[in-house]
Amino acid sequence: MSKKSILIIDDEPDTLTFFSNILEDNGYNTITADNGETGLEKLNETIPDLITLDITMPEMSGVKYYRTIKGNEKWKSIPIIIITGISDEFQTFISSRKQVPPPEGYISKPVEGSELINLVKKLLGD
Amino acid sequence: MEFPFQQYFESMPCYLTVQNRDLKVILANNKFVTDFGNYKDRYCYQVYKHRADKCEYCAVEKTFRDGVSLSSEELVQCLNGRKVSVIINTTAIRDDDGDIVAVMEMSTDVTDIKDLQREFKENQERYKMLFEEVPCFISIQDKDFNIINANRLHRETFGCYLGCKCYEVYKHRKEECYPCTVRRTFEDGTIHRHEEVVTTLDGRTINCMVHTAPIRDANGKISHVIEMSLDITELRELQDQLTSIGLLISSISHGIKGLLNGLNGGIYLVNKGIENDNKERLTQGWEIVLRNINRIKSMVMDILYYAKDREPFWEQVSALELANQACESVKDKAIELKIGFICELDDNAGDFDCDRKAVRALLINLIENSIDACRIDKSKENHTVKFQLFGNDENIIFKIIDNGIGMDRETREKAFSLFFSSKGGEGTGLGLFIANKITAAHGGKIEIQSELKKGSEFTVTIPKRSIDLSSIDIK
Repeated sequence: MSKKSILIIDDEPDTLTFFSNILEDNGYNTITADNGETGLEKLNETIPDLITLDITMPEMSGVKYYRTIKGNEKWKSIPIIIITGISDEFQTFISSRKQVPPPEGYISKPVEGSELINLVKKLLGD
Repeated sequence: MEFPFQQYFESMPCYLTVQNRDLKVILANNKFVTDFGNYKDRYCYQVYKHRADKCEYCAVEKTFRDGVSLSSEELVQCLNGRKVSVIINTTAIRDDDGDIVAVMEMSTDVTDIKDLQREFKENQERYKMLFEEVPCFISIQDKDFNIINANRLHRETFGCYLGCKCYEVYKHRKEECYPCTVRRTFEDGTIHRHEEVVTTLDGRTINCMVHTAPIRDANGKISHVIEMSLDITELRELQDQLTSIGLLISSISHGIKGLLNGLNGGIYLVNKGIENDNKERLTQGWEIVLRNINRIKSMVMDILYYAKDREPFWEQVSALELANQACESVKDKAIELKIGFICELDDNAGDFDCDRKAVRALLINLIENSIDACRIDKSKENHTVKFQLFGNDENIIFKIIDNGIGMDRETREKAFSLFFSSKGGEGTGLGLFIANKITAAHGGKIEIQSELKKGSEFTVTIPKRSIDLSSIDIK
């Protein structure tokens, strides 16, 4: 059985390294992107089983990226975990999403490894 | 006196006397007798004023001389000591040959009117004093926003511009402000308040809390509006400092969360490296830990710099080297946004005393501000930011010139205020405030030349040699 893949989108290189290592150690394949635009390009190459998404990023913010994914028939079923350091930012995001469904998960930075793994496993039914 | 004139004489609501050429009272009505007593064989000045000699100015005497009726104001004293203000009128009484044989003096008691007049004058003086000396700016404006009156502080602070438009005097604008509290008070007749930033005669910008109230005419219609503006600059500066700390804490806590996240990642890799005896992972994790510790150190220094007025860390620095470092930091952003970035740096600008990190931050801040001004500007196809460096015997001069959105006078004057941003939701209003603070801490100054839709030019002048900064008011 092939490994499930997770797309990690965050503009902080250390966060990308952290998440990709811990997720791979737990049996997942990872793909990384440092902004929303690159994240979209990666989606055109392969469709992941789950996405972790930061909100404040250059180029394309997490909010715009989320709207794009959830508004696209091909991608809208991919579960998304929002990971941000600003709790206000998450609230703003929730109130601004309007016609798109709520995210499947939310974790506040700094992220505890076990917290991330537990949520990923829960959402992927592992 | 023949009947029926005697009856009229008695019923007049004033003091009536008839005097002969010697100024003796030869006839008087009952009202006079009641208040001034027996007049028989007494002179007018004895009865009215209890004087031994006649008055310096005597209307009766003058009427005897000229035959002309006269009027004057006098203060007389009744039998009971009460002083009465009277207006006297004299009329000559002539015989059949036309010769003046007596003068009738009619004295009307105007004491109440005089008291009211005095009270009115005192009140007027009191209100004038209050209007003039109250420690706020007061102006009275008509429906066209012309200033028709202004108090002393207003005149001294904004100049004597009676008859000029309010918005010209306060803000050097050519058109009415929006919102305008004076207009709203004219419209709904109620008191309004609004905070404004205005510019004084000597070019200082001050924060004002503006209150407006209607002034109504006798028919209840609003004829004018009184505008009272309280200088709250010191309050705002204090508030700015507190808010600035709050904003920094909020912004920095976000940064710290990111760093802690990185540290968590580093620690995870270090642990896994030890656990699996994997040196590569251990090294990778340790590098992440060290990098994030250094970033925390740097962030703490930033907090100390902005949250506290710390003294610059002085060192002698090559202006060219510093300018080149600033260029390196911003050029990628300009390229990415397709904005031309031209550096014209004088190789011989020389060294200067400065806090290297602070001045680099200042330059990056101003250049990025210009890049943003270009990015937001949709009116031109090509944008350029020019960064220049010059040096003379005394100063190092940096110029940042852009052809971005530019600023009108009002925006230009508010540019260094904390949390004022002309970039809508995109600006934090921190950048130029901090740039100005850093420049002031170096005993320098920033000058702005700007025109709306054309572009801006920032000139930063910093003395080459550090000076005694204790005498400089750093805000």
